[in-house]
Amino acid sequence: MSVYRSRPEGTHRFHDDFYGDDYVCDPQESGYETNNYQASPADYNNSFNSNFGEASVVQDGDEFSYMEQESAEVIWIKESCDIVVHTTDTQVAASLQAALQLAIAIVVRITIGDSADGDEVEQELLQTISSSQVNKQKIFIYNTKDAKVTTTDTDIAVNIQLLLQLLVALVVLIDIL
Amino acid sequence: MSESSKKPMMPNKVVEVMVDSIFRKNGVKPEEVKNTLSEKQREMLREMVTDLKQQVEEFQKNNASEKKE
Repeated sequence: MSVYRSRPEGTHRFHDDFYGDDYVCDPQESGYETNNYQASPADYNNSFNSNFGEASVVQDGDEFSYMEQESAEVIWIKESCDIVVHTTDTQVAASLQAALQLAIAIVVRITIGDSADGDEVEQELLQTISSSQVNKQKIFIYNTKDAKVTTTDTDIAVNIQLLLQLLVALVVLIDIL
Repeated sequence: MSESSKKPMMPNKVVEVMVDSIFRKNGVKPEEVKNTLSEKQREMLREMVTDLKQQVEEFQKNNASEKKE
């Protein structure tokens, strides 16, 4: 039985070519070991096997990648000293977002998967909140001393909020919460 | 957390109506769905949602405190 995952293996959220060797932060993989990811819906998958048709589950991993939000951030610091950088933890945010999307999909699948076209409902639900999907930030710091840089990714924060609202509305409607 | 960040970007009612209309459009009846779920499934879904809610709140709290610095 396949396991749900938020994106196909080997696919990075970031464009690899875009970054080259200039990674300031650790590459992607490390993000998935954060504590916040423990409760990813993948853990729940096996409990629901009886409700999922085998084929639809297998397809899901790929299907989901199109909903992926791109959120990239690069900060180059060159020939500088005493630079302080604060950024949002986009990796936590991204996995949280993926978890929420998956949870919505699970709820839709479980509740109406059999009776109606679940895929379509799910797509419609997610479409309404996927308006701003790409967020790229590039910051160059060159020949500088004692600078402080703070960046925020509001897109992803808003998205997460909306996804949660959607999920809650969904479960309220079917009388679970 | 400040008052503005507590308020959702989109009113809950709007989301609620949207979900309802999408259900309606696709011929899904929430009343029928309620009956098809077993108690165990409800419990699992409830736990899942509560857990995610908590994580989102945690994340937003962290974000807000970072901004304050």
